Amino acid sequence: MFFRIQTSAEPEVDLSVVYDAVVVGTGAAGGMAAHVLTSHGMKVLLLEAGKKINTSEILHSMEWPYDHPRRGRMPPGYHALTQNEYNFRKPPYAQNSPYTKVTSYVQHGGGSDYSKTIVVDEKQHPYTGTEYAWVRARCVGGKTNIWGRLALRLSDYDFKGASRDGFGQDWPISYVDIASYYDKVDLYLGVSGHPENYPAMPDGQFQRAIKLSPSEMHLRETLKGMGRILTPYRAGVTTDGLKHNKYRSRCWGRGACNRHVGGCDIHAAFDSPTGLIRPAQDTGNLTLRPNSTVYEVTVDKNTGKASGVSFIDTETRKSYQAKAKVVILGASTLESARLMLNSKSTLYSNGIGNSSGHVGHNFCEHIMGPSVGGYWKDLVGKPRTLDDGRPGGFYVPRFRNLNGPKSDFIRGYGFEGGAGTGMVPGTAFDTPAFGAEYKKNVRDYAGATIEMGGFGEVLARYENYVDLDPEVKDAWGVPVLRFHYKFGDNEKKMVADMAASAREMFEAAGFVITSVNDRPLTEGWSIHELGTSRMGNDPKTSVLNQYQQSHDVKNLLVVDGSSHVSASAQNPTWTIMALCWRSCDHLADQMKRGEV
Amino acid sequence: MTSEINRRELVQLLAGAAFALQLPAAEPGAPLFFTKDEFALLDKLTDLIIPTDEHSPGAHDAGVAPFIDRMTAEAFLAEEKETWRRGLQSINALSQTTNGAPFLQATEAQQIALLQKISKNEEHGETPQEKFWGQLKQTTAFAYYTSKIGIHEEMNYKGNVLIREFVGYDAT
Repeated sequence: MFFRIQTSAEPEVDLSVVYDAVVVGTGAAGGMAAHVLTSHGMKVLLLEAGKKINTSEILHSMEWPYDHPRRGRMPPGYHALTQNEYNFRKPPYAQNSPYTKVTSYVQHGGGSDYSKTIVVDEKQHPYTGTEYAWVRARCVGGKTNIWGRLALRLSDYDFKGASRDGFGQDWPISYVDIASYYDKVDLYLGVSGHPENYPAMPDGQFQRAIKLSPSEMHLRETLKGMGRILTPYRAGVTTDGLKHNKYRSRCWGRGACNRHVGGCDIHAAFDSPTGLIRPAQDTGNLTLRPNSTVYEVTVDKNTGKASGVSFIDTETRKSYQAKAKVVILGASTLESARLMLNSKSTLYSNGIGNSSGHVGHNFCEHIMGPSVGGYWKDLVGKPRTLDDGRPGGFYVPRFRNLNGPKSDFIRGYGFEGGAGTGMVPGTAFDTPAFGAEYKKNVRDYAGATIEMGGFGEVLARYENYVDLDPEVKDAWGVPVLRFHYKFGDNEKKMVADMAASAREMFEAAGFVITSVNDRPLTEGWSIHELGTSRMGNDPKTSVLNQYQQSHDVKNLLVVDGSSHVSASAQNPTWTIMALCWRSCDHLADQMKRGEV
Repeated sequence: MTSEINRRELVQLLAGAAFALQLPAAEPGAPLFFTKDEFALLDKLTDLIIPTDEHSPGAHDAGVAPFIDRMTAEAFLAEEKETWRRGLQSINALSQTTNGAPFLQATEAQQIALLQKISKNEEHGETPQEKFWGQLKQTTAFAYYTSKIGIHEEMNYKGNVLIREFVGYDAT
């Protein structure tokens, strides 16, 4: 009798065939590549290092805290890194930790028990070098399972930033090249928003907008007088529903988005598994293999082209090879760079696609930290209202260095904010004293509070980079990344201005300010890593062309945030998906014509 | 509101909500970690921080001390348990030197005066009692405002329900 040891409930995928494309990573980028290529009839193998998770089963978005034995906290032995640990220690942060499992800071706060299987165990996934809060989600869907949902467009202020202020490089595309792809993403995945006709942040194909609280409306009116915009949180959430997608519900205003470290168990908020991957599987053209840690892009020595990938089964540690006509990396900005650098061969001695020496460089993101908090006197002690029954509060797009006077720094920043209270009042933790007075103040001020925090563009500089650590390996024996990354002078000046302008806006609105923070959080905090394989027209100073194809290896694409030339002030996910769609359409055309 | 949800929407919602995790709640009876005396002290301290008022019941009724007891019993590191024990002891020691009696034997006026003293520096605690105060108050607040009484009676929270229209004003 023959017994086959089965490590997963699903049948092993067929690795004897040559797929049209192998896609590495299942987040916003990999999921989008799978969607677009399968819609063109291509046979796609989609590989994910982590496991398949059922967020519908693990998130419990409507579970009350008191129905959870630890009120949503992780089990004993789990530890989430604190802000202090990132600042006063050096990576690898989990080294010598007394805890059994260590996760990134996003697991802090209430509700972290629900997403503890989404983020990685830092003990298995070390990295070295300079301080960096690197949040990783290894599971099908990646970080789209817990993302912050802001779905913003970039504009030519971003794409042509270098022409405006002389720093860095322009993108090889303009807004007109990508506008129709933003539209496609909007219509296929759903985005909620209110049109503002604001050139620095173009409008989209919006579904029903989120509503504003009284103090947010008041701030919106105040900012209008300053030539600035406060717009309802532009969320990658389907507020009206999507007739073409049976896996996603419309938003029901449960206020669950932020309660359990992101995630939406009815999938009103976009996530890659229900928004992209399951519909792609329904075409019959997609093969998904989780637990597949890709460690190398393989090369055909005769043609110099990519021939597929090598991967380790994350659970059994057995090695496999997959063959494909095209290799598409969407493993995340830092993991795709790591994979390219680890793909060394006689043809590509410093990593595949790296003849420019730029892989890992020009690494950028958003700087966070500056924030303002306060309350509106008119609302103190007023009867309780429902403040959190919506997928977000508000967004204030970039207003610096557009057409007005120039600052002492270049580029700009935006603010995310919100007013009022969720299920657990923030005032419980910052109201002084104790007793009846404390209790009454917590109650009376909770609904009157308003706060916002900045996200600023970190300049893409060559000297900010990652490379491979020569010694340290992860739990699967794959060399890990070493960070060489620090905020610079422009970021420091920007941070000071972010805090000052935040204060200025709250003062103008007549809010009572209770806190102003003017210090940056640790590098990495925004979880918006970008730019390690930037696009460009010159193969000497860029890694990819405008269709995210390697200049060196024509059948290798990098479709995640790696390709971004600058960070912009706007959150990147929607741009990642619009660019990926455009590149995959172009690739499908090329393949039909036999050009790849 | 629910009646407006059509069948397809309902199916999608139930797919997400069907398996609310059923776990046993803390049982009444002997404390799991603290001694009976320590537990009584903890219970009193939490109820002084968040007392019953005309609006809603306080920390004692919300089961704050049993929750802290359970979390401490489960704590992974021995030092997490010890900071609670040492903190409670330090309060009793200060009460002894200030009022000539352990905390629970002092008058309520003396108890409140003592807490006013150790909570003066709550942002930057220095003495053992001041440092413990931060931990005690923050944990009490967390346990109370995540309890049934805290969420529904005290804060009168309206959310975690299905609503067809968002609440608030349209940006115009």
